[in-house]
Amino acid sequence: MTMNFDRLFADFLPQLLAGMTVNFEIAAISLALGLLAGLLLTFGRLAGGAVGGTSASLTALMRAAPTFVVMFFLLNAIPRGATLFGVPMALSGVMVVALSLLPYAASYVADSGVDAVQQMRRGSPLGALLILPNLARAFFVLVMSSSAGAAIGVGEGIAVILRHAEQYPALGDRLLLFALGVICFGIPLQLGFAVIRHIQRRLGQRMTRDNAGPV
Amino acid sequence: MVKWALVALSYLLIAALPAHSQTVPQETPDAALARLLDDARSVLKTECTEPGTGRLARVLCTGRIRIGVRDYYPLFGELEDGVRFGYEPDIGLALAERLGVEVEFVRVNAASRIPLLASDRIDLVIATMGHNTQRDGQVRFIRPHYYQSETIVVGPRDMKIGGWQDMAGRTVCGTVGNGSNAEIVSHDTRLMLFDEAGILPDRLRDETCFLAAQDDSFFDFYFIDETFAQRFERKFGFAQVPWGMAVALEGRGQLAVALDLLSQIFHRDGVFLEIARKHRIGTTFLEKQRDLWSSPRCNIATGGADPDCVLPALDNVMAPTSFSDAVNRIEGWFDDSLGLEISLPMFKTESAWSLLKSGVFYTVVLVVGALAATLAFALLLGAAMGSRLLPLRWAAHGAIISLQCSPVVLTLVIAATVAHAFFPFSAMVAVGAAIVALGLMNGANAGQAIGEAMSSLREEQREEGATLFLHAVGRSASQLVAFLVNAAKGTPIASFIGAPELLSALTDITSFSSGRGTTYFLLLVFYTLVVMVVVWLGARFRRYLERHRATA
Repeated sequence: MTMNFDRLFADFLPQLLAGMTVNFEIAAISLALGLLAGLLLTFGRLAGGAVGGTSASLTALMRAAPTFVVMFFLLNAIPRGATLFGVPMALSGVMVVALSLLPYAASYVADSGVDAVQQMRRGSPLGALLILPNLARAFFVLVMSSSAGAAIGVGEGIAVILRHAEQYPALGDRLLLFALGVICFGIPLQLGFAVIRHIQRRLGQRMTRDNAGPV
Repeated sequence: MVKWALVALSYLLIAALPAHSQTVPQETPDAALARLLDDARSVLKTECTEPGTGRLARVLCTGRIRIGVRDYYPLFGELEDGVRFGYEPDIGLALAERLGVEVEFVRVNAASRIPLLASDRIDLVIATMGHNTQRDGQVRFIRPHYYQSETIVVGPRDMKIGGWQDMAGRTVCGTVGNGSNAEIVSHDTRLMLFDEAGILPDRLRDETCFLAAQDDSFFDFYFIDETFAQRFERKFGFAQVPWGMAVALEGRGQLAVALDLLSQIFHRDGVFLEIARKHRIGTTFLEKQRDLWSSPRCNIATGGADPDCVLPALDNVMAPTSFSDAVNRIEGWFDDSLGLEISLPMFKTESAWSLLKSGVFYTVVLVVGALAATLAFALLLGAAMGSRLLPLRWAAHGAIISLQCSPVVLTLVIAATVAHAFFPFSAMVAVGAAIVALGLMNGANAGQAIGEAMSSLREEQREEGATLFLHAVGRSASQLVAFLVNAAKGTPIASFIGAPELLSALTDITSFSSGRGTTYFLLLVFYTLVVMVVVWLGARFRRYLERHRATA
């Protein structure tokens, strides 16, 4: 079968864009939960003592936990029909992927949070504000990592690409389809990074101006 | 009671005699059944209400047989507005009619059908139950079997799948605990598992699954739907399992023999076949059975004891490991001492143990390979990024941007697609493709860091050539180590393209055994430890690079 470009634009691209919204949804849920857990770990680490040690150990463990294995663990370890305080705990595919990214998000937020607080203590509020572009970077990493959902049947962007690729046995057609996928994921990613670089530059300029003081 | 014993003994003696040594004419199954029922009825008056009464006597005495059937198994057993219909309830009704009793249907499911028999809450179960050697120790199966199913692979009509030779590297959707899963994974085919079979047709329709494997009896219903049948077809079948009615082991004697004979007669007379046609289920097996049981060799009272006439049970008992007893003791200790119910299926059977060992082997190969590839691509792309040759720098920059824009799963799939275009599918090809993909993804980011370090060193007017490159590697040591750790963390995702590493192996093991919770917890611990070891080694490597940079 050779590639049908009419079908590609009428069928594939709208489905891919719809699938990519699932990737963004997963990343948003994961980052929101990561912020909550990460800030708790940040305060724990700054508290010092036993709490600090425990928080640091937890952060290290979360940093080391492979997302893909966490995803399969969540998918298989929580029994169907399980409840927590009477509330059903059945997780949707999207939530399973989002939760599997939580260890990464939480440890990243905790590390960035500790850095930000240390910058504040050094008297550099603008340095502390660098946490914002760092969080934006984490969001895009989460968007790209959410493609793991394709392995458990979540209908995200990569699942759409793979579904269409099955209809094209020729290597050239498949690679063309994959290239389109890379471009579609690449555009928001590069735009996002451009915005991050812009924010960082602006913050850097303000920091330089503030440090120079009035002339 | 003595009379019952004589009846059963005479039947057993007849059944035990080889066909060729008996005198002609042989007793027909009809005559044997009539004699058995007559004998049973003749003792009803005295033994009907007595404790310890045989099950056939009780059924005849009460005029009622309690049959366990399913509530929702399309075409085979359904309940709607209080009315039961399907192949199995109709068999129950036909049996009861021949016995001259009424039927009381009792709802059963896959989990409850054997316990309900054992606790004497039903007399007979006709509920899509496959006859395997494991169940032989729990119930008495009625033979000949009333149906035979097989696992079929279903997929889109335009997908060319002729058999196992076309399945390597493909993903098949199935259900957890399906007895055929072990065979599927033994053909280099990956499984995407769901809890309920009912979801599979929908996942085929929305193209989450390209292929699905399940009993043909399950798909029969969906192939009645023209829209479904126009899009999908049966690709091939495997793992044939005979389905058996069953009675309890205790007190089974006369009831089991009567049902054996009735089943034989129903095959010979096409009763099963007629009911199957009425409910539009597959009839190939039943047609062959009708011919078989009409033959002179099988159409005798002792035909049920002839191995040429009856089908054997499916042998699904897996060979245990030499240390399976010790594993059972450990599980028992956890349960007794700590109240923890753990299950370690990967250590109990030879097939699971073998999968586990190869999974660990491939994981080690994958981790070491991914680390080496990341380092190699980082140095290569870093050198190209820091080159004074503009085309080389641009080419490296383009490659890095492309790799950064591609989600991890997509990069893996691209690597696997290219690899499979040149090499036939094998475990090592999948592992090799995963190593290259992980190395490229992480090496690109680390290479970018090395390139940027080279630029910054040039701005500081430092040396050129090899010394500059080595200093740049030292300056970007923390980034390099971070991406090495990332490569190790990413190795389990290789299972997505069929690399048989530990995640893949354990998923295969849990697909045909219990203990998913414990298994995936151990897997998580294993991979977290692997990553922590890589973090520790990475820290030593970074210190080495920084020391080297300081002394230079």
